[in-house]
Order: sequence, then C-alpha cells, then structure tokens
Amino acid sequence: MKPERIFIGDGKDGLSYADLLGFANGAKSVRRVIADENPPSFFPEFVLSLACGADVALPDAANIGDFPQADLPVRKPRFDSLDALANAVRNSRSKIDLFTSGTTGKPRKISHTVQSLSRSVRVSDAHSDDVWGFAYHPSHIAGLQVFFQAFFNGNEIVNLFGRQKREIFGLVVRRKISHISATPTFYRLLLPEPNVYESVRRLTLGGEKSTGGLLEKLGAVFPNAKINNIYAATEFGTLLVSDGEYFSIPQSAAELVRIDSGVLCVHKSLLGGGEVPVDGQWYKTRDMVEFAPDGLRFKFAARQSDFINVGGYKVNPSRVEDVLRGFGGVVDVRVYGRKNSVLGNILCADLKTEDGAEADIAEIRKFLSESLGQYEIPRKIAFVSEIESTRTGKIKR
Amino acid sequence: MIQEKILRILNSIRENRSLPPLADVASSARLREDFGFDSFDLAELTVRIEDEFSVDVFEDGIVETVGELCAKIEKAR
Repeated sequence: MKPERIFIGDGKDGLSYADLLGFANGAKSVRRVIADENPPSFFPEFVLSLACGADVALPDAANIGDFPQADLPVRKPRFDSLDALANAVRNSRSKIDLFTSGTTGKPRKISHTVQSLSRSVRVSDAHSDDVWGFAYHPSHIAGLQVFFQAFFNGNEIVNLFGRQKREIFGLVVRRKISHISATPTFYRLLLPEPNVYESVRRLTLGGEKSTGGLLEKLGAVFPNAKINNIYAATEFGTLLVSDGEYFSIPQSAAELVRIDSGVLCVHKSLLGGGEVPVDGQWYKTRDMVEFAPDGLRFKFAARQSDFINVGGYKVNPSRVEDVLRGFGGVVDVRVYGRKNSVLGNILCADLKTEDGAEADIAEIRKFLSESLGQYEIPRKIAFVSEIESTRTGKIKR
Repeated sequence: MIQEKILRILNSIRENRSLPPLADVASSARLREDFGFDSFDLAELTVRIEDEFSVDVFEDGIVETVGELCAKIEKAR
C-alpha cells in the first residue's frame, strides 16, 4: 500500500492512505452504526470499525433508529502501519449487518463478514494502479464489493455517487478512472455523450437488468472498456458475471448454484446469516431465467415476486401500500410499477379517498418520506374511484 | 403553447418536492443543474410528458435543457 496515494476523494479534496491511518489512530470512538450516505465520510469509519473488530450495522434512510448497541464502547488498538491496518480489516471478525426489502413489513437484516463480502475480490500487482469510480450508496452490497476490491489493492476510490454528468466525466479524465461499477440507471443518465473516455478499462453493470442498446452505447463512449453484467444480491454477494446479455454457471460454482423450474437457486453455504428463508439446502431467489438456444447460458427474465426494481433498488409495493393507508383520508391504495426509460421502472400509486377528495401530493410525499426511502415513494399518484383488482380478488399489479 | 405546458409540468414536479416554482425560463435552462432534478424527478417527468403528449422523451437518451425537451416533443407530434 502506498501511503501518499489517495484512498477516497471527490476530485477537490481527498483522504490519502496515510491520512486514513492517522484517522484510525486518532479517532475518539468507533462506530457500531454507520448511516452516512456520503462515501468519503462513510468508508474511513467503516475501515476503523472493521479493524477494531466491532460489529457494525449499515442501515439506509428507511430504517435508522433501532440500534441499541450503538453506544457500547469498543477497544481501539493502535495501528503501527498501513499494512497493520489493512491486515486488521482483512482478518476482522466483525459482523456486518445489511438490510434488504423483506416480503412483509420491515426490511430484513442480512449479516455478512469481511470474508463473505470479499469473496470475489482479486488482489494482485496487475490491480495495483486501478482507479475506481464509486457509484453506489455506500451500504449497498455492490458498493461494498467495490470498496473491498479497491481497499485491498490499495487503490484510489473516486466518489461519483450523486454527482452530475459533467462532473462525473470530468473526474474520469482528471483522476484517470480505470474501473466503474454502477447500475444501468447510473449509466443511462450519462448518455448521450459525444466524447470518448479512454482511461476506463472495465465497466460493470449490476443491480438491475440492463436494457437493450445500453451496452453498445457504453462501448462507444468507453472504447477500451471490457463491459460486464454482474448478478449479485444482498443475501449472497456477487454470484455470476456475464460479458453480454447471457450468464452461465462457472465450473467453480457448479455445486452451489442451480436452476429449478426456471428459478435461480443458491446453496445455503453462500448466504449471509440472518432472516434468509431456505428450503432444505437451497435458497430460492425470486429471479427467473430464460435459457439461450444452447441450453447452457441464460438471461434473467421477469422476477417471480411482486418486487419492483426502481433504479436498482428493490421495492416491496405491499410495504409502500401499508404506509400509504396510514395517510389521513385514504380508504384504499394500489402501488405498482410502470416501465420507465430513466429508472427501468417508476413507482405509481392509485389512491381511493373518502369522498373522492384529492389530497395534496407534496404532503403525501412528505408523510411517506418519514418511513420510506426516496426510491420507495411513488412518483405518480392518481386519485381513483375504485382500485383495480384481478378476478381472484388480489390487487392487480 | 408547448413551452407553457412543459413549464407547468416542470414546476409541478418542483412543487411536489416542496421547491418553489421557477418563473420564465430560458430554453437553455438545464433540467438537472437549474431545475435541481435528480433521476427520480427525471423519471417522473417522462411519465407526465408521456401522459400529456404521448411521447417518451428519454427513449433514446436523456435531454439536458428545456429547449431540447420542447424540440423533441414538437418533432414527435
């Protein structure tokens, strides 16, 4: 690890690896809950918590507030060198709690370890000068995978999360970014782009199905980049990588992944701990696949469940409906997805109110933001006289 | 006039986020930097424009300014 190299920055200021060591030794306390949405403030704290062996929870906006262990003191050792700090992280026994949409009610907790989160990390000299564009919410499983890949190789992480298109391209050039991992929505928002960026050698897409044409357009903007789609989940990290639309199960994973009646299933040994429902040895994901003509490769088709993928975030419409029913005057509600060229899907809601009165939309959204994340708030709200349902009485989605 | 209708839609999106409306804007006004739209607002914009004008404005890429938005809608009609 090179002390003078930037660990994480956003173009203007950067924290070097030497600064990170100084932070780790100088910090007065160790966090057990890290809810920061800003990667430059999130990751130094995360490194410290892991290096001290503290269990740490990473909630997102929707579920802060339930962490009684937050104030327990943690023994803080001194780290004599960067290598000592990195080794402490590598060998950490910390339990890392992530959260994902549950089938009903509150989000589910999934517990990981440094080992389970860095299973697909490759450390080698070939990676020593990689520069990573970071484009996820820092507590998102995909973001954590990027973090470990970059940190264990002593790479620079450039924060692109939440930035405007021109800033992003400016940073690609100024910091000579070589690797970017992001959702298809992130990439869609960069297009169209007339210029070409030659420093990028690797583009990874994950979190959502990437739609037709996107890979070709990205190939034109980043001509030297190898482009991969990855399939990963909070429950088990990165599982499959494809170089186009089709995935296949690699030899190494042959015993651990299978497809059962078109549904992708994962062996329980790959799962993080926590509330993951397992049927015998296998966890049935809710992802359905369609095979290519060769019968070996497959692509992802519709999701089996009602969950709606909004810009890479999984939304449980039942949960949103439950919260909406709590708004004054709402008699019934239906939350559903509609295809959208920006986010993949946009969340919509039909509301039936007392007397058909139309409530103030800004007020509804404010009410919802008290218990839901931004991505769970319906962006098109319509007032209807009747909620559509299917013949069996289930709400039509 | 298309420009007026679009301005009304843009301001209504701002209002739903409890932001004040913008008055007369130049066609060079940028949706993200000047109107303060994030990806969710842009997504909402596509839906509202599709409902009003039957055009999916971002079908082949995101537009940057109000002027480009109006031009795309005019072209599709």
